[in-house]
Amino acid sequence: MKNILRKTQVLAFSTLLIVTSCKKLDINESPNNPGVESATVETLFPSAVISTVSRTGGDLSIIGGIWSQFWTQNNNSSQFRTVDSYDVQATSNFINGPYSELFAGALTDYQLGITKSVAAQDWRYNLMNTVMKAYTYQVLVDLFDKVPYTEALKAGGNLQPKFDDGYTIYTSLIAEINAALAKDYKTNPLTAAQIKTDFVFGKKGTSADVMASWEKFANTLKLKMYLRMVNAKPNEAQAGILKLYQDGAKFLDEDAEVNIFTDVPNKSNPFYEYNFRRLNTPDNLKASTTFTSWLNLHNDPRAEVYFGAPNPVPSINQGDYLGGAEHPEYNDAVNVVVNATDAVPIISKAESYFMQAESRARYFGGAGAKELYDLGLDAAFAKVGLTNPAIYPYPASTNIEVNIEAIIVQKWASLFGSHALEAFFEQNRTGYPKTTTLYSTATGYVPGQLVYTPNGVTGAGNFPRRFVYPDFEKSRNSNTPAQVPIYTKVWWGK
Amino acid sequence: MKKLLQSLFMLMLFAVSANAQERTITGTVTAQDDKLPIPGVSIKVLGTTLGTSTDPNGKYSLKVPSTAKSIEFSSIGFTTLTREIGTLTVINVALSSDSKQLGEVVVTALGVSREKKTLGYSSTQVGSDEINRGAPTNAVAGLQGKVAGVDISTTSGSPGGSSKVILRGFSSVGGNNQPLYVIDGVPINNSRPGGTSAPGTVGDVSENYDFGNGANDINPNDIETISILKGAAASSLYGSRASSGVILITTKKGKAGALKIDLSSAASFTNVAIVPSIQDQYGQGWSKQNWLAENGSWGPKLDGMTRPWGSIVNGDQEMKPFVAIKDNFRDAFDTGQEYNNSLALSGGNETSTFHLSYGNIYSNGILPGANDVYKRNNLSLSGSTKYKGLTVSASANYVGKNTRAVQTGQAVSGIGSSFYEDLLQIPVDYPFTNFKDYNNKFYNVDNYFSPFSQNPYYSIYENGSRFKSDRFYGNVDVKYKATDWLSFQFQQGADLTNNASKFWNAKNNPAIGSWAGGGNDEGYTRQESVGNVIEGSERYFEYDSKLNALFNKKIGTDFDINALIGVNYNDRGYRSLYTGVENLAIPGFYQINNSANDPTSTSAETERRLFGAYASATLGYKNYAFLTLNARNDWSSTLPANNRSFFYPGANLAVVLSDALDLSSAKISFLKVRAAVGQTGSDTDPYRIFNTLSRTSAALGFGNIIFPIAGVPGYSVSDVLNNPDLRPEISTETEFGGEIRFFNNRLGLDVSYYNRVTKDQIIPVVTAPSSGVTSRVVNFGKVRNRGVEIALTGTPVKNENFTWDIGYTFTRNRNVVLELPDGLDKLILNSAYDAQFVARVGQPLGVLEAPIPKYDPQGRIVVGSNGFPLLDDNNGSYGTSQRDFIMGLTNSFKFKEFTLGFTLDYRKGGVFYSGTADLLNFVGNDIKTLYNDRRTFIIPNSVVQVTNPGGGVTYVENTTPITEGNVNALYYTNNGKAVAYQNRILDKTFLKVRDITLSYSLPKSVAQKIRADKATLTVYGRNLITWLPKENRTIDPEVSNFGNDLTSEFGEFRTGPSVRNVGLSLNLTF
Repeated sequence: MKNILRKTQVLAFSTLLIVTSCKKLDINESPNNPGVESATVETLFPSAVISTVSRTGGDLSIIGGIWSQFWTQNNNSSQFRTVDSYDVQATSNFINGPYSELFAGALTDYQLGITKSVAAQDWRYNLMNTVMKAYTYQVLVDLFDKVPYTEALKAGGNLQPKFDDGYTIYTSLIAEINAALAKDYKTNPLTAAQIKTDFVFGKKGTSADVMASWEKFANTLKLKMYLRMVNAKPNEAQAGILKLYQDGAKFLDEDAEVNIFTDVPNKSNPFYEYNFRRLNTPDNLKASTTFTSWLNLHNDPRAEVYFGAPNPVPSINQGDYLGGAEHPEYNDAVNVVVNATDAVPIISKAESYFMQAESRARYFGGAGAKELYDLGLDAAFAKVGLTNPAIYPYPASTNIEVNIEAIIVQKWASLFGSHALEAFFEQNRTGYPKTTTLYSTATGYVPGQLVYTPNGVTGAGNFPRRFVYPDFEKSRNSNTPAQVPIYTKVWWGK
Repeated sequence: MKKLLQSLFMLMLFAVSANAQERTITGTVTAQDDKLPIPGVSIKVLGTTLGTSTDPNGKYSLKVPSTAKSIEFSSIGFTTLTREIGTLTVINVALSSDSKQLGEVVVTALGVSREKKTLGYSSTQVGSDEINRGAPTNAVAGLQGKVAGVDISTTSGSPGGSSKVILRGFSSVGGNNQPLYVIDGVPINNSRPGGTSAPGTVGDVSENYDFGNGANDINPNDIETISILKGAAASSLYGSRASSGVILITTKKGKAGALKIDLSSAASFTNVAIVPSIQDQYGQGWSKQNWLAENGSWGPKLDGMTRPWGSIVNGDQEMKPFVAIKDNFRDAFDTGQEYNNSLALSGGNETSTFHLSYGNIYSNGILPGANDVYKRNNLSLSGSTKYKGLTVSASANYVGKNTRAVQTGQAVSGIGSSFYEDLLQIPVDYPFTNFKDYNNKFYNVDNYFSPFSQNPYYSIYENGSRFKSDRFYGNVDVKYKATDWLSFQFQQGADLTNNASKFWNAKNNPAIGSWAGGGNDEGYTRQESVGNVIEGSERYFEYDSKLNALFNKKIGTDFDINALIGVNYNDRGYRSLYTGVENLAIPGFYQINNSANDPTSTSAETERRLFGAYASATLGYKNYAFLTLNARNDWSSTLPANNRSFFYPGANLAVVLSDALDLSSAKISFLKVRAAVGQTGSDTDPYRIFNTLSRTSAALGFGNIIFPIAGVPGYSVSDVLNNPDLRPEISTETEFGGEIRFFNNRLGLDVSYYNRVTKDQIIPVVTAPSSGVTSRVVNFGKVRNRGVEIALTGTPVKNENFTWDIGYTFTRNRNVVLELPDGLDKLILNSAYDAQFVARVGQPLGVLEAPIPKYDPQGRIVVGSNGFPLLDDNNGSYGTSQRDFIMGLTNSFKFKEFTLGFTLDYRKGGVFYSGTADLLNFVGNDIKTLYNDRRTFIIPNSVVQVTNPGGGVTYVENTTPITEGNVNALYYTNNGKAVAYQNRILDKTFLKVRDITLSYSLPKSVAQKIRADKATLTVYGRNLITWLPKENRTIDPEVSNFGNDLTSEFGEFRTGPSVRNVGLSLNLTF
């Protein structure tokens, strides 16, 4: 009997323990990370902007600049050899890294920021997030041709989002921008603390100025997207641009850029942080003969700024990283100059003017194109601390292509550094600078023409025109389209 | 024969005259081996219920009726002996030891000792002598090659480095595959320091520094036995943490009797075991030229001519013959020393006992100077006391560690450098030992010959780490025997660890214009090392409470029941804080404030609780058939509230056929069959239920941008999607086996077959980034492990002077991934460059995949216009990390006072990725880079793809050679990527002589001169010989700096070599 009593006691004690431990087990909320419900637009927006520019101004610009032939792989090192031989595979970090960061790092935060600001009827952050989301998506579309859009960013809701074609995404983004512009983002001013969270225009100081700049940025981004359509959708491109002008849209007359970087580890310009601070050698990217020969031809003073050396800048022929034995002078080639505190441009002032100049050349019979082209050149030189030496006169030809070539080549020369990805896109769209079948060592080579790299794996003349679909998506999402070669143009390509 | 006749005669004589008188027999029972008295030997008068046991001095006194004919002496661990009484009044016996004795008692789950024959699953117990034979500093190292079904590796040659123990294969894809370590019934912390910070953040140092895992802290000399519970049937009572098995450690306790002093002292030399085999044909340079600044051996053919070498300093350059340096790698290291001393005092009386021990280890590894040092102090006190039915015992242990380690793996560029990485890049004709003088004008920061690397010895002496740890663990155990069949037990355990660590890299920058500062023949400037300092602290805690009721009752004559019911509460977690700063202001001063930069910190804390209730009952029938049923229910804090309770049952059956039937005619002394089926449930890591934000850190490919920036904080949506619907993981295991022994236990065989399926594993699996997250936590998939374990034991020779014992183990585990999450064809477990360690359906867990060349339909290699092989669009398989089988062989020869023993450990099959091979290939030091004598050649059987105007594709013979000057590019992962991994993924097979020991037990007469009861002198060697297959001439496949779990099976990334020890130990018992 005594034993039965004991057993009962044990049982009772056990039950008591179970009951008391139920509450004791409710300790599974992380003390290390706040719950997602506590997110604020003020902490999401700067995060997303940094995610975007860390890639567009970092590794994507490094790759864009190799493929636009500003710089090339040093023959004494090897970091970017696969890029310089057009051998960037689906599994490469050059592709998976940006894709992953732009979607899961940037777009997720913009999307949550939009959801939160719509819920709070905060149309200021709604516009800011929408424009940056559109810019980020535009980069993805221009790199990959097709990406998920309508079914994307639903986290657990859809793990296998379908891919949308680039044109659909473009028109949807423009519609999103228009919707955000249609809201009242002016009445409620941003507080000083909120202005500080805007790394793009926050330095303007007042809420009214900041929001006015965002409006210009939104219009200029639309202009850029319409211009991208000139080959694939010429009518829609023209209609869209004319509509912008009819509506009296104001375009950027300042740089839309992130200019908050300091020479401190983990807080520097992403190109600098990646290529100079964190790689085992800062000597991976050397001046490319393609670009330096062009600078030298025009005795362009930007050589000193871009490469820290006067014309002719010691350089390496594009992609000739195995040619060191025959070219001992390669050992004298200079590095690209990118500083820890350099801004990452999103749309530069010069770029805005060059785009307006192109629009004028295309759709307004050239009226005003020259002035805008010159403004673009002024801005491009001013950006690097120089005065426009007026060495590049606008051709004002009756052949629109001649004018466009002049505009785009000047745009190309202005996109050095953390803006180089845009040069790659614009070459794909317009074909400028022209490509050549000659190598830069050949007699008859025209300085500045893009050469096919001697170690290219795609076959002569097959320049890279896109990124292949990333393994991160392909291996996890069965809706990923079939792989196409890296030299297949994207939907808007020429 | 004469003796026998005599006895018979005597017996007959006294049988007649005997009457019912009683008399007293006295005597001493000693051990045959060491002649020491054995206390507690049970002595029974056969045919009666009379009996007694020996006192602490091995003496006994027994009243026997005159009808008694013989008495039986039995004790655990000794062969039972029966002696005729005859007319004797004094019977002294010497018992011989027998580890295979029938009544062997083993420690099972929850610390319950049970007769081994009642267990329905395979169980292995290893004793102190076996563990400590080679004076190891960590307990499990002494088990290598000795236990079937167990894969034990030493993952680091650095002193105090980690060990990896895998029981019956890997089953958890992302979770913990390490067994649970339990000391005297209480689970302990087995984590590796440095793993608490998120990858890429300050404090994520586990790949670069190995300070050992928690279980290595135990003093092996304190261990009485280690029981290995491999299957679910054996371990399920321990709950979710036991799903990868349990290592049950029972520590030495005091015994009633005079004060006993055990002294063990060992000293050994440590040497590097395996170093890479290096080519000896080509010297320093690149592209067949003698570029002096190059960090490799792609230069001209070695010709023995005396030539200048290295940097030019003020016009001076050193001269030496242009030849490969013999034993260059081996000479890069020093001879280390290891001292392992332990002193124990124990004793007690009938009611109370105590055991006090102190252990000290000082180990200075194979790197020069005191830069890889492991110091450990263990202090342990345990005691118990009895009062009536109440027994209270307690143990308290302190472990103090002080470790210095050098960085392995990849250094953070621009901050510092890493010894092994730099060492591998020195040309084959450059004498490594010269560079030890790292302040020499030719080898210093300014003038080190290559700006692409740094002097390895600089990093040894100027960079470093210091790790200090204070740990306390112990338990209080209260047992109350309520009746003769019921007792209660309460046990409270605690394990608390405080770690403090510091890591530093020196600031240095070659002077502008110096050799490394751009004044070399390539005009190349070495990247500045800005230096850094990181300070970290980690605090681990674990509290474990248990309350058990134990039943033990005979039911009728045929049945007995042995049962327990209990509850368990476990609370554990850690807190960590790391702070670091880069770019030091004052060189050589390592303090967080010594920088213009702001320090950055990471902090983390986790806590988890688990409540469990369990019951187990063994029903015995006639002491030869035993059925055990057990069940446990857990409630875990880490699972969603509605799924946090999970139940898992098990059953096992053992039938001792040799007791049920008379098999003696078949020379079978023991035959048992067993069967078990069981489940174990498992929870997950904390904080995987609710979605979170994380401090924004934008990854750049290399480097990060981390908030706050410009005074603005950033929090973004976490890239990992948590899951509010998680369920527990469940493993189901069936096991069949049997034991058979012949010829009076001289030959024994133990065979097990098991099949374990683990399903609903919880890990973050990668997700298409377009969904907005990069991974999500899910329950998924199934992994199956099936295997066979065989243990063969034998005593081929046994006589008075000579005994030969042999033990052989064979393990074969077949692992297969049965399911993966929806939409995934593979799961990446680890990677290095383009090599991936993946899980794929239908293949073993852990397949190495890497780039392969593209082939045309005829199977010829397709090359690009530059003559280098093109890459296939997808990676190809290079094999799996799974071994074909593991075999162990132990031998022990005992001749009089001498014992010679050795253990062989053979592990066949599997592949691993070597980051050491990667770098050796890149710089042209690897022996495999001699292919075709480095001459210009066309890739054999290669074609180029031609696209016809119509769009059709044809392949024509390739005529573009790879020129002599560019052969090097074939060995690195750019142009040569398609073929380079063939040289980086290596065969994992090895054969090691784990230990060789020769012991001499001093004769008692000699021992007593120093007042010792027992004195043994042992010469030992650990890991003396390692044999590797010819495909791997690079590194010991056991080493890894990817932790000590599944990810480490991938291989290594420029980690240190393994080591061997030769030493001498003295064991004294007073």
